[in-house]
This record gives sequence, structure tokens and C-alpha cells, in this order.
Amino acid sequence: MIRFEQVSKSYSGGVQALQKISFHIQPGEMAFLTGHSGAGKSTLLKLISIMERPSAGHVFINGHDLSKVNRKQIPFVRRDIGMIFQNHRLLRDNTIFDNVALPLVIEGYGLKAIRKRVETALDKVGLLDKARYYPNMLSGGEQQRVGIARAVVNTPPILLADEPTGNLDPKLSLEIMRLFEDFNSVGTSVLIATHDLGLIARMKYRTLTLTRGRMVQDGLEASGANGVES
Amino acid sequence: MSLLFKQRGAAGANQRKLGLFAKVIAFFVGNIRHWLAALGDIWRDPIPSILTVAVLGVSLTLPSIMYVVAKNAQSVEQHWQSAAEISLFLHTDLSEKQLQTFIKQVELHPKVEKVVFVSNEQALSEFEQLSGFGDALSLLDSNPLPNVLIVVPLADYAFASPAADLLTEFEQMREVEFGKLDIEWLRRLNAVLNLIKDTMGSLGLLLCISVVLIVGNTIRLSIINRKEEIEVLKLVGATDGFIQRPFLFTGLWYGFFGGLIAWLSIELMLYYLSGSIVTIADLYQSDFRLAGLSVSEMINLLLMSMGLGLSGSYLVVRKQILLIEPDSSI
Repeated sequence: MIRFEQVSKSYSGGVQALQKISFHIQPGEMAFLTGHSGAGKSTLLKLISIMERPSAGHVFINGHDLSKVNRKQIPFVRRDIGMIFQNHRLLRDNTIFDNVALPLVIEGYGLKAIRKRVETALDKVGLLDKARYYPNMLSGGEQQRVGIARAVVNTPPILLADEPTGNLDPKLSLEIMRLFEDFNSVGTSVLIATHDLGLIARMKYRTLTLTRGRMVQDGLEASGANGVES
Repeated sequence: MSLLFKQRGAAGANQRKLGLFAKVIAFFVGNIRHWLAALGDIWRDPIPSILTVAVLGVSLTLPSIMYVVAKNAQSVEQHWQSAAEISLFLHTDLSEKQLQTFIKQVELHPKVEKVVFVSNEQALSEFEQLSGFGDALSLLDSNPLPNVLIVVPLADYAFASPAADLLTEFEQMREVEFGKLDIEWLRRLNAVLNLIKDTMGSLGLLLCISVVLIVGNTIRLSIINRKEEIEVLKLVGATDGFIQRPFLFTGLWYGFFGGLIAWLSIELMLYYLSGSIVTIADLYQSDFRLAGLSVSEMINLLLMSMGLGLSGSYLVVRKQILLIEPDSSI
């Protein structure tokens, strides 16, 4: 589903963010991406959503080479990728309903379909009763769940999350992770970047570990990985 | 419409069966929605919008006033075009028959549109009425005024130099004592009017450019203000066109309100000025009335200001939205 082939990314000024990364996440697979801050987790996710382009190597989604996607096609690629951010990235001036409806409005869905899908997504994250609230009336965990509802509302085949539990306590973090498991169980490929190793250890999923831009481990366990501190 | 996942449509996730008619409807509904949403955005954050619209209103008022002035000047000028008449003062010793023959002769001249004969009695009584010397004139034992033949040349010969040629031709005739054609002042008036028109044209152009720039700058600022929102829109897969549309509509609205203010201020100004214009016109014994903007001119003004607003926003929106890319933390 997501395949990296010898991908390197260097930023201007010679900072080497990623070096010769190769991995393949199968359709319907759920995986964690871990490493220190600055190890290149965010850069890796940005390469998938084409917020950055690799300096060398190729990124494939569903067999399509992303280097062949031109500027005008980027929005259509992003519609296939649900993205969840540490700081939620909700629109403060819009209601929860409108925030979640955004991807559907952009794709031009009709009002009826929008309402049905948004209600389904909000129901899934347990916030249906707060559809008319504004983001700043919700707690951090609830805001994160709104972000997740927005990411899954158009049922994308890929879900990317960058530190989705960064600001949440362990109990809430686990709740959020359970949500990801639910989406994964219906066939969505999920890639979660996090440095919460305790959480990863409990969940038993494939873990990709990055250290200074290199993939140092690709396997089930992360806690014993070289150079990764818990 | 999935770029990477051909099967997505078939799986039903993105399946949308829309006929052409439904698509057209969706297009219009979508645009109307954006159009109203832009109005809503102006309403929610009114202070910068009001300031912008006020500046636009003033900027548009100036060229519109110039237009109104030019329009009225033109009507006055047309009124004065009839001043391109040749007055022929005839010898007083002509008999009635000679007079009639002469009038006929001039009337049939190929360069003459029409003639008006003002007899010396007519002229005297008119003079008595207008000058207020009625009593004094009755002391005169004979009418000192000559018969006058007013010759209106055909439109082609009404200009300065052919009219002057015509005048010399008539002055050669023995019935004519002398002719008069006040052409210099007409030439000067024309030149001055042309100068005023050209000045207004260039000033109007400058002010229209300033409208475009003002709208452009305001839209640019509002795009920068909404950077975060635009980033989110880009992240969830909005095309540039989708992001641009509300800003284009905002420009359109700015133009509309600016035009409305311009129109209102012109109407107010005309109302304010009309009193003094009437007084002046009365003093000059003219029935001149200040003409405002007609309905079609008003619609043109609104359309033009909306066009200027739209082009102002179009100028900056594309480039500015390209500049904003989501990159902080994904």
C-alpha cells in the first residue's frame, strides 16, 4: 500500500532528514513509526502526503509513483489519505460538524450524503451529541477525536497520524489507539508516528524505528531497538 | 474520483452518480453557496471590510463624478453648438422685395441648413423686453437696428474654418453690410473641454487602477490572516480553485459595495448641488438641469466596480495561495 524505495531527503543547508529508507506497508496493515524527535518521522509522513518531495528514491502508494504526481494532482492524492495531527488542526471558527464535513464539501458531496457520513463518523468517535459545539469548547482528547472523525469521514484507504496522542494522558491515548484499531479492522492501512514507546509495547504491531534519518529496525518489537531510549 | 485507487469508485466509497443536469445544479449551488459564504465572512469581520469598501467607494466616486461632469458638459456644449451660426447684418436700405429674394437665395445655398430672419421690428421689441430700456427706446424716432439673417450652416460646415469660409462668401454679397461669426471662443471652448475630458479619462484610469490595487491588497491581507485555515484545506485535499473561490467572491462583493457607495455619494452630491446649479442656470436664463446617472449607467457602474474588485482579487489570490503550503508539523 505504502512503499518506500531507497528514499532520501535532505533539506537545504545539508540537513539529512532521511537516508535510504525502504519499507513496505501492506494493504490493511497497521504500523507504528517511532524514533526521537528529529529522527525524521514527520518528514517521512510528509513524503507520503506530498508535503515534501524526496531528494532521491521513490515513494509508491498503491503502486503509483508519487514522483509522477504533479502539483495539480496533489489534492486528489490527499483525498485518499486521512491525516491526523498532534495539534488537531481544526478550524476554530467552524462547528464540529462543519470541521468533519470539510473533506466532503471539498469533494462536492450533496448535503444529505454529507449529513449522513458526518453523523456516522462523529458517532464512531462518540461525539455525535457535540456536533454543534465549537472546537475550543471541547477537551484535548475530544478535539483529537474530531480530528480523527475528519480524517475518516470519506473512508480513505490510508490513515496517517503524527503524534496523535502527544498531548493526552495514557488512558485517553489508549482510547484513541483503539479507534485506530477499529478503522484498521475494516481494511484501512494505518501508519502512526509516535514516541510513546509504552503504548507501542502494549499494542503489538509492526514498528518502524528511525534514528537520525536511518531505519534501524523494522519489526514487531521496539523496546529493544538499538539507540532508542524509552 | 480517486487518482491512486481505481477501485475506490467501484467499491462505493466515492461513488456518486450525477447526471449532467445535477452537475450543473451542483455547480451553481456550490457557487451561490460560496458567494453567500463570502458575504458571511465580510459580515463576521466587518471592520477591515468596511474600511476597504469605504476607500473603494471614494475611489470610485471620483471617476464617476468626472463622468457626470463630462456628461453634463457635453449637453451644455451641444447647446452651444448652435452658436456656430452666422449672423448677417443687412443694409437698411433694401426694399421688401430685395429682402425676400436675398433670403430665398441664402436659403437655397447648398451649404446652408436653414435661415431665420429677424426683422428690425422684431429685434427692437425683443431688445425692449430684455434690456429694460423700453421707455428710453420709445424716444427714438426711427428704428436703429438692422434686419438680421441668421444662417445655420449644414453640420459639415459648422466647424470653425468652413464656417469662416462661408462667412466671407456671404460678406461678398452686396445686401450684406457685415457678417459675424464668433468662432474663436468656440474653438477655445472645444479645446478646453477636450483637455478636461482627457484629464478626467487619465485620472479615472488611475483611480480604477487604485481600486484594483486596494482590493488586491485587502484580499492579500485576508489570505495571510487565514493562512492556518488554508493550510488545513490543502491538507484535506482542497484544490487551489476551491480555496481561491471565496476570495474571488469577496473581491466581487467589495466591488459591489464600493460601487453602491459611489452611486449613493453621487446622488447625495447632485442633490446637494442641484439647488445652486438651478440658481446659476436661472441667472443665465438657461433651463439647464444637472443630469445624474441613469439606471443603465448605474448598473454599468456597479458591474464595472464588481469587475475591478474581481480582477483585483484575481491578481493576488492565485499567487498568494500558491505561497501557502502546509509544512509546520504535518
